[in-house]
Amino acid sequence: MPMSETFEPEIIAFVCTYCTYAGADLAGTSRLKYAPNVRIIRLPCTGRISPMFILKALQKGADGVLISGCHPGDCHFTHGNYHARRRWMVFRALLDFIGIPPERVKYSWISAAEGVKFAEFINSVTEDIRKLGPFEQYSQLIEQTQAPASL
Amino acid sequence: MSIEEQYRTRAKELLSGGAVKMVIGYGKGSTSDRRRPLFISSTDEVDRLVLDDACIQNLSGYLVSEGLLSDEKRVAVFLRPEGIRAINILAAESQLDAEQIVIFGFDVIGTEVKALKGIHVEEFSDVINSIKKGAPEAKEEELFEKIEKMSPQERFSFWQEEFAKCIKCYACRQACPMCYCRRCIVDSNQPQWVNTSSHTLGNFEWNIVRAFHLSGRCVECGNCDRACPVNIPLRLINHRMAEEVLGAFDHFAGMSKTQEPVLASFKKDDSETFIL
Repeated sequence: MPMSETFEPEIIAFVCTYCTYAGADLAGTSRLKYAPNVRIIRLPCTGRISPMFILKALQKGADGVLISGCHPGDCHFTHGNYHARRRWMVFRALLDFIGIPPERVKYSWISAAEGVKFAEFINSVTEDIRKLGPFEQYSQLIEQTQAPASL
Repeated sequence: MSIEEQYRTRAKELLSGGAVKMVIGYGKGSTSDRRRPLFISSTDEVDRLVLDDACIQNLSGYLVSEGLLSDEKRVAVFLRPEGIRAINILAAESQLDAEQIVIFGFDVIGTEVKALKGIHVEEFSDVINSIKKGAPEAKEEELFEKIEKMSPQERFSFWQEEFAKCIKCYACRQACPMCYCRRCIVDSNQPQWVNTSSHTLGNFEWNIVRAFHLSGRCVECGNCDRACPVNIPLRLINHRMAEEVLGAFDHFAGMSKTQEPVLASFKKDDSETFIL
């Protein structure tokens, strides 16, 4: 990629099907335009989002990860998002301590009615990750895994 | 009478009366400064029990060995305060019935061994409370603070260097009383979450997952840290996680046998400053 071109980050979004995915649908049907850098993965609930998913996304070369679900109190399963919130709190601290910048993993509550918020959120996250640049530290580690074993 | 003798006498009484079927304690190790776990089920072996300041291993993990407690008989075990907290967690997570555990409590201050009064976990709540109040500090305060002050890049390099040494022997997992899962996530290959070869990326993932699964459950007994053959300072990560759950949720692992696991419970007003 020539240096003059702007860096296009690859971002993986884990969203819950009842709120944020419906919000994304609304953004689509409202013909809102947002950055094309995000690949959305739909899950039943934010409570289903294991921290392993975030690690796997980074392992496969994502520059950023985005997580979103129903607002507190609105969970389809009544309290999946409360559990998820605690888990992220702890996981964020862990990533920070290990040296993986927590800015690369973003969290949000987006309801089915918030198509505009969804589009804005995607745009702002894409912009933030673009400013951070590619996740080079991690991609170096990924490259090592593909190198032939030295004997 | 020294504590060692007192506890030997008590062990003899319990075993001869049939009150317990086994005593798990410490015996002589391969060198004079080492102790190894000792499993005693008859009174003539009781004199092999040793109790001194070299008894550092947390023995609580042996209690969840398959089948040990399934006959509903009692087992006695030598435990330091961290070990007693571990019993509380295992009971809270339904891994054992605390009634079946007879505790030989002790603590080591400097080189002096002090007996802790009590038989069952409930009786040690004062001891545990005082540990919580004392705001436990990292065992290597200086290194811990140094890491906290680093930039994310420097921290990443620090851990990269440490984790590069990891050989994925999983000794940290085997030594940990909280790692009792029959099937660990790293043993799963459909899907393969963590790479089994010991390249640094996979080592990062394994150590992150290990620390995450122990957050809010780790009692900082140091078993993993001592078991690590390449001396990765796992205690620092564990301490950071313990600090986080204490700060964010006022959760101190192993307070009581009915304490709710921190990541399996929630409050509606939990902090969410980081959520947009």
